[in-house]
Amino acid sequence: MTDGWATSRLPVQTDFKQGDKMTKPTKIKGRVWVIRDEKGNPIRNIDTDMIYHNKHLAVTDIGEMAQFIFGNLDGWRDFPQKAEPGDILVVGENFGSGSSRQHAVDGFIALGIQAIIGESFGAIYWRNAVNAGLPVFRAPGIMSSGIESGNKIEINLEKTEAVNITSGEKIEITPMSEIQKEIYHAGGLFEYGKKR
Amino acid sequence: MGKTIAEKILAKNAGLDEVSAGQIVTSRPDIVLSHDNSAAIIGHFEKLGLEKVAIADKMTIILDHTAPPSTETYALNHKRIRAFVKAQGIDHFYDIGRGICHQVLPEEGHALPGRVILGADSHTTTHGAFGVFAAGIGRSEVAVLWATGELWLRVPESYRIELVGRFNNRVTPKDLALTIVGDIGADGAIYKSVEFCGSALAEMSVSGRMVLSNLTAEMGAKAGICYPDEKTVEWLKGRTDTELELVIPDKDAEYEREFTFDLGEIEPVIARPHTVDNLDLAKNASDIEVNQVLIGTCTNGRLEDLHAALEILKGKKISKDVRLLVFPASSEVYIEASRDGTLAELAESGATIMNPGCGPCLGAHEGVMAPGEITISTANRNFKGRMGCRESEIYLASPYTAAASAITGRITDPREI
Repeated sequence: MTDGWATSRLPVQTDFKQGDKMTKPTKIKGRVWVIRDEKGNPIRNIDTDMIYHNKHLAVTDIGEMAQFIFGNLDGWRDFPQKAEPGDILVVGENFGSGSSRQHAVDGFIALGIQAIIGESFGAIYWRNAVNAGLPVFRAPGIMSSGIESGNKIEINLEKTEAVNITSGEKIEITPMSEIQKEIYHAGGLFEYGKKR
Repeated sequence: MGKTIAEKILAKNAGLDEVSAGQIVTSRPDIVLSHDNSAAIIGHFEKLGLEKVAIADKMTIILDHTAPPSTETYALNHKRIRAFVKAQGIDHFYDIGRGICHQVLPEEGHALPGRVILGADSHTTTHGAFGVFAAGIGRSEVAVLWATGELWLRVPESYRIELVGRFNNRVTPKDLALTIVGDIGADGAIYKSVEFCGSALAEMSVSGRMVLSNLTAEMGAKAGICYPDEKTVEWLKGRTDTELELVIPDKDAEYEREFTFDLGEIEPVIARPHTVDNLDLAKNASDIEVNQVLIGTCTNGRLEDLHAALEILKGKKISKDVRLLVFPASSEVYIEASRDGTLAELAESGATIMNPGCGPCLGAHEGVMAPGEITISTANRNFKGRMGCRESEIYLASPYTAAASAITGRITDPREI
C-alpha cells in the first residue's frame, strides 16, 4: 500500500448517512489507547520525533511507516504490535508538536487507527490529520475524565459529546468544522480537491 | 473592529474585503516552499495524474536538509527532484550549497512584506520577520498547491507581543525568544498568529527578528509576524523589483492575548533537554559538560551570529574535549564571513567550518551524536533524538553562550569570558 489517502485498513462500518457528500460513517466506535506515562500521568508535548523518529524519514511507503510509530516514546515502543485496526487514540496536550513530517499521521493510518481524540494538537499535525481524512477531535478535559486504555468509546460526528461506553461517562468534544467534515467525507484533501 | 496583520494579509490574499479569526478562507499563496521532502511530494503529485504543475512560477525548491546527501536514498531523492524541476520548468530551484530554505528565500527576494508563504517545513514561520504571513504545512497540502494553487486556511486568532527596553551585554534575540517560549509554553500559542511590535523590535536587526519568528513555531504558532518597517525595506533593497506593501495592524485590532517583554530583564538562557520551553539561566548549568557545539541552522546561522561567536572565540582555542561545528546559513553568509575573515579566525580557534545547510540539526548527517553525548546548539529544537541518537542530549542557547561553552567545555554564561 502506498497511497496515504486510502483508508482500506479501516474497519467496515455500516452506519452511513444518506446524501451525496456523506460517504463515511458519522459514528465512530472503538477501543481506546490512552497515552499516559508509567505513573499514569498524561504525556504532554509528544512531538513528531517521538511519534516517528527522524531516522526513518527517507521512508515514502505508508505501509512501511506503521512499524515505526511511537518508536521514540518511552513506554509505548511496542504500540505497533499492540494496536489493532479500528482502535482510537486518546492523547494529552500539544500532541504532534514539532516538525511538519506527515509520517507521524500516515503511520497511524497505516496501523488502522480510526480516530485521535486529544486535549490539544500541534497546529501542523492537526492540519495533516484533517487533510489525510483521519478524524481528529479536540476534547479539553478528556485526560482527566475516567477514561482508561481498553475502554470502548463512541463518537457521534453530529454531536458535541462522545460517550465512554464502558463507564457510561460523557465526554465533551469540539465538533468537526464544516471543512474538516467535508474533507473527511471526501476521503482526504486530494479527493476533496477533485470533487470541487 | 480593527484587523490584525494576519487578518489583513489573508483577506487580501483570498480576494475578500475583510476576514476575521476563525473564518475558513481559500488562500492562493504567493510562494510555496519545499525542500528535500519534494521527493515525497512529487510522489503525491504524480498520483493526481496531472502532467504539469499549476504554479511553477510560485514554487521554490531548496535542497538543504541532507546536503550533500549522506546516503544513496537521499542522493536518489535529490536526483528525482532535479529531474522534476527540469521537466516542470521551475526557475526558483536552489541546489545544495545555496543554503537553508528559510535564509535563501529572503535573500532571493521571495519573502516580501504582505505576502503569503506556505511551506512544507515547520519553521516556515521564519519569513514572518519580513511582515509575511508564513506558515508550515504538510506534504500532501503542498502537492495540492502544486496542482491547484489553492488551499484552505483557518484565519488564526492573534497574540501581540510588545518588545521594549535594550539588551544588556551578550544577551541576544535568541535569549529573548527562548524566554518567550519558556513563559508562554510549548503549547501556549497553538494555531495563533504571534505578532511582534514595539520600540525594541524597531531597533532590532532583521537577523534578530528572524530568530523571533523562527522560534514562534516552538510554541505552536501558525505564524510569527514582525511589524515590517524601513529596516525590512532596507534589507530587501536590491533583492526584488516588486513594490513593497508594509501591512501593519489597525490600532483597534483584536488580540486574544497581549504580552510585553522588557529586553533589559532578559539574561543568557538555555533550554534544557528535551523541550524548548524547559528554560533555565545559562549560569545555572555550569555543571553540564558538552561534547559538541553547533553554531548555525535557520535560527542562528547568519553573519551577526558568526560575528557573535567570533567576539567570544577571537584569539582563543576551544577545549580539547569539544568539537565545534559552524554552519553558515547560506552561501551568501558563507562568502561574507569568508571575505571578512570570520571563518578563518573561527577555524584558527579550532572550529570545523561546514557547508551552508541544515547540518545535523535534524539528525540526518554532518555531526550526529553518540549515546551519552551532549551538544549545546544554536538551533531551535532539543527534542529527544532530534540530532539522531535518542540517548544523547541537546541544550539550546545563543551563539554567544554556545561559543563560550566551546572554550570551557561546559555550559557557560558568555559574560564570564
